[in-house]
Amino acid sequence: MTPTTKDALREFSDNLKAVPRRVMETAFRTGPPTTDRTRSTFVFGNVFLHLHAVRTHRWSLKWTTTMGLGIMSVSAFLIALVTGVMLMFYYKPYPEAAYESIKDIHFVVPTGRLIRNLHRWSANLMVVAVILHMARAFYTAAYRKPREYNWLMGIGLLVVTLGLSFTGYLLPWDQLAYWAITIGANIAQSPREITDALGITDYFDPGGFQRLLLLGSDMVGAEALIRFYLLHVMILPLALAALMGVHFWRIRKDGGMVRPADADDQLFRQPREEALPIFTEAPAKTYHLAAIVRGRTSNVGRGPENTVPSMPHLFYAELGVLMVTLLVCLALSLVSDAPLKELANPSVPENPAKAPWYFLGLQEMVAFSAFMGGIGIPSIVLIGLALIPYLDRETEGTGRWFGGPGGWPLVRLSIVLGLAAPILIESFVIRFGWLREWFPSVPQLVITMLNPGTLLTAVYAFFSMWCIRRYGSTRAGALALFTCFLCGFLVLTIVGTYFRGPNWVFYWSPSEWPKH
Amino acid sequence: MRKNKLLLLISSAAVLLLLVGAAAEENYLREWRRIQAQGRSDEGSIPVQLRQVVNPGLGVADRCVSCHVSMGPGEQGVRGAAVFVPHKPVVHDPADYGCTVCHGGQGQATEKSDAHGDVHFWPEPMLDKSMSYAGCGTCHVALHVPEQAQLRAAELAFERLDCYSCHRVDGKGGTVRPDQGGMEGPNLSRTGLVAYDKEWHAKHTAKSAAASDGPWKKAFRAVGSDDLTLLDTFLATRVAAPQLVSAKSVFLSYGCLGCHKVSGVGGDDGPDLTRAGFKDPGQVSFEHVPGTGSMANWMAEHFRAPASVVVGSQMPAAAVSENEIRQLTFFTLSLRRKELRDVYLPKDRIRAAKFGEREFSADGATLYGAFCAGCHGADGHGRRLSGLVSFPSIANPDFLAIAPDALLTKTIEIGRPGRRMPAWLKADALNADDVKAVIAHIRTLSAAAIESDPHPPRWVKGDAAEGKRLFSSTCSGCHGSYGAGGEGPALNNKVLLESATDHYLVETIKRGRRGTAMSSFLEPSPVRPALTQSDIENLVAYLRSLQGGKS
Repeated sequence: MTPTTKDALREFSDNLKAVPRRVMETAFRTGPPTTDRTRSTFVFGNVFLHLHAVRTHRWSLKWTTTMGLGIMSVSAFLIALVTGVMLMFYYKPYPEAAYESIKDIHFVVPTGRLIRNLHRWSANLMVVAVILHMARAFYTAAYRKPREYNWLMGIGLLVVTLGLSFTGYLLPWDQLAYWAITIGANIAQSPREITDALGITDYFDPGGFQRLLLLGSDMVGAEALIRFYLLHVMILPLALAALMGVHFWRIRKDGGMVRPADADDQLFRQPREEALPIFTEAPAKTYHLAAIVRGRTSNVGRGPENTVPSMPHLFYAELGVLMVTLLVCLALSLVSDAPLKELANPSVPENPAKAPWYFLGLQEMVAFSAFMGGIGIPSIVLIGLALIPYLDRETEGTGRWFGGPGGWPLVRLSIVLGLAAPILIESFVIRFGWLREWFPSVPQLVITMLNPGTLLTAVYAFFSMWCIRRYGSTRAGALALFTCFLCGFLVLTIVGTYFRGPNWVFYWSPSEWPKH
Repeated sequence: MRKNKLLLLISSAAVLLLLVGAAAEENYLREWRRIQAQGRSDEGSIPVQLRQVVNPGLGVADRCVSCHVSMGPGEQGVRGAAVFVPHKPVVHDPADYGCTVCHGGQGQATEKSDAHGDVHFWPEPMLDKSMSYAGCGTCHVALHVPEQAQLRAAELAFERLDCYSCHRVDGKGGTVRPDQGGMEGPNLSRTGLVAYDKEWHAKHTAKSAAASDGPWKKAFRAVGSDDLTLLDTFLATRVAAPQLVSAKSVFLSYGCLGCHKVSGVGGDDGPDLTRAGFKDPGQVSFEHVPGTGSMANWMAEHFRAPASVVVGSQMPAAAVSENEIRQLTFFTLSLRRKELRDVYLPKDRIRAAKFGEREFSADGATLYGAFCAGCHGADGHGRRLSGLVSFPSIANPDFLAIAPDALLTKTIEIGRPGRRMPAWLKADALNADDVKAVIAHIRTLSAAAIESDPHPPRWVKGDAAEGKRLFSSTCSGCHGSYGAGGEGPALNNKVLLESATDHYLVETIKRGRRGTAMSSFLEPSPVRPALTQSDIENLVAYLRSLQGGKS
């Protein structure tokens, strides 16, 4: 029977009405995520969500497990990414035009000021979140087997994050930016301190080469700006995205969040928040994907009792952290404007010229030795961080906060020492000066080797060694050393930020600075 | 689960709240919206919308009229708020030309502090209201301005001769004085811009002669030639910005062009000032400037004590009154000279750029004031500035009595190579007529008449060796070994020795220069014996042997 015209029209109108439903059906092919099975397919059927396991251990969802710091870092990055792309519509990466365009964004473009503030605050928050995330991973011993490699990825992410933040610092092309980057470039050049002392700079000049590579010329100019711009909007974000992809994927491959061996017992001792059926009326097996994956997965070989479907439990948590991050950035952006000083002027140095805040701890040490403060000690710290998972091969305390021999009392002691040592050394140096003031003719090489930064590092290292012997555990030494460095970073950063004025002289507050 | 759900709910709600708040702030709570909401025109309330004056030719998109609504195109009638004041009548209607061209500031901003440039580090803040007319300098140059004494005399002449009875100039005069027999004459506020009939005086006289009664008879009387010159000066400088002209005349009285160039004319020792009015306050140091961080404040302090504001500056402190400092500041701020498209290039700029008309009047006093007064002093009595060789007094009667015009001409035209005095006869400074005018002016600085020279230029036949001995014992203390200069002027200078006659040298040594360390050498002093005529001739012979700087 051939359909009549009328029937065809009715069919057309029925199809039209069904479009929204059909679109949803074709987008989420397995139906609404209401059963364990469809929840699972919802996750691994989605290109973005399938980085997650389909089921999440309830331990991972405890707020104290991760404090959401990793997701917070990603969220801050996403906010910076979106606002950064928006800023690119108006930003022009040429010296004078750059400043003008930032002025326009700040003063003329509708919502431009808010977007710029959001970009700035999310970038800063990202640095903070990444550092705290690393501390969380360290203190819960999450770097241990099988997560050693992911810890390395994390260190890579830390470096790229700092790089992103630092390269963004130059782009406004104001005095603040110009002189901060000049300092950064001088730090890149600081291997000259060694080569000069050895008298081989003419033949072997890695410092000058690094600086030239960074700036593309002898001084911070148009070439440097375009380099920093390209690094900031293209190379580093791509690198970060690639590293992030690996980082997330490894979380899943390494069995999700780290948790203590007795996590299940601890959870059973607590009342269940809710009693979702683990196997619902749909009888299909939920692990068929996991079964074909070799090696360790989140749930193979373990009871599913303490897992919940990632959809929606994990996603609520992740979205929640994203929104909290956005909230924090938004609130800060509404009350505090990103700085914009006068147009960069190479002939009028800022005094004090300060690097971005997270480098002020380094700048504090750079004041004595550019090489040690800017390259030597940071390299030692990064190498030390990278070695942690390979040196600490113990198992005690994995997944517990401050887990391992010594535990919280050791960390407490380390905090005291970690704060006291830099404060004492700084006080001494501020009160009595250092070698250069006492023996003006002392060779720089001596100061390179013997300065407050290296002294502090030595004190920390000695303390760490002592802890290894005292507790008979590498983890104890790592706990001590990591805590100490974190405290040292904090103290030096605060001193550099709040107590250093013109010519890097100590002042109790900026109100005491010599009047401009 | 519940905790996370709650977290998501609360944080999302808070984000939404903040975003709505920010959007409301951005869209409804802006100050200009509140101001426009009060606006009333004849048709009732005015639409609340972003208003702007766009002039692509001038590169202007000024949103100032979002608050200053009644200055916008076709909205003069809007009233209702204190800020709704129509612009006072000006040739350049802000509805066409925009606001920032003249006033500076940030035209595209929509918040008061941003727009007025009251924010930190804004490179082009608005000109202070008292200096609004400095904004004219963005496009215009006032031409043929004389130094301040003449300008003042011209202004006084116009007033003294009662021209205000009929003519309105810069808001003064005109028919407000019918009791003086006045009537409505043409407004003369812009005669310097649009030109005026050079035959005006003859025509006035003829009309006055023809009239039997009325204003032409009662209010007009023929004017003497001196006063005519003054009135012409007055008319040539009426550019509807009297403040700007008088500020410029101060600038032309203190020798600023001796070191600085403005639009390609002037000396080379100081920075070019052609666009000094656009100086970015962020690019100068306020370390030693008390008060606010405004460019006007910086400049005023810089005029008071240049070297303490700009480290290493050799600029002498302008020894002038606070009012003159204000005027110098005003004029410097007016040095803007924006690049303009041809259609917007005003006549005065064209006259200056294409027809070589100059910004200063070509009389000797003005030329002297503009180019020479900085070093030799407004009165010609020289200046002694710390860190610099002292500048000689050229008004000294002993000097003027014996210095022939040829010497003065050569000195001005070629200068003193190797010394501070540059050559002034060049395209970007003075021409030959100017030099003559300057010399004529210098002659008026002293009552001393030039004495005639009975000798040929070179007549001295002395013993140079004896002169050398005398020179080392008597002269080198001030003039340096071999006459290379010290506290006193250098004498081995090629131009000096070429242009100075023997009579001039002999007489200078004989008479000395009263009021300076150079006393008459015919008289003994406590530190040296008197010289005889032959000693002096020996000295001159020795000086001649220094020709070319050799010993």
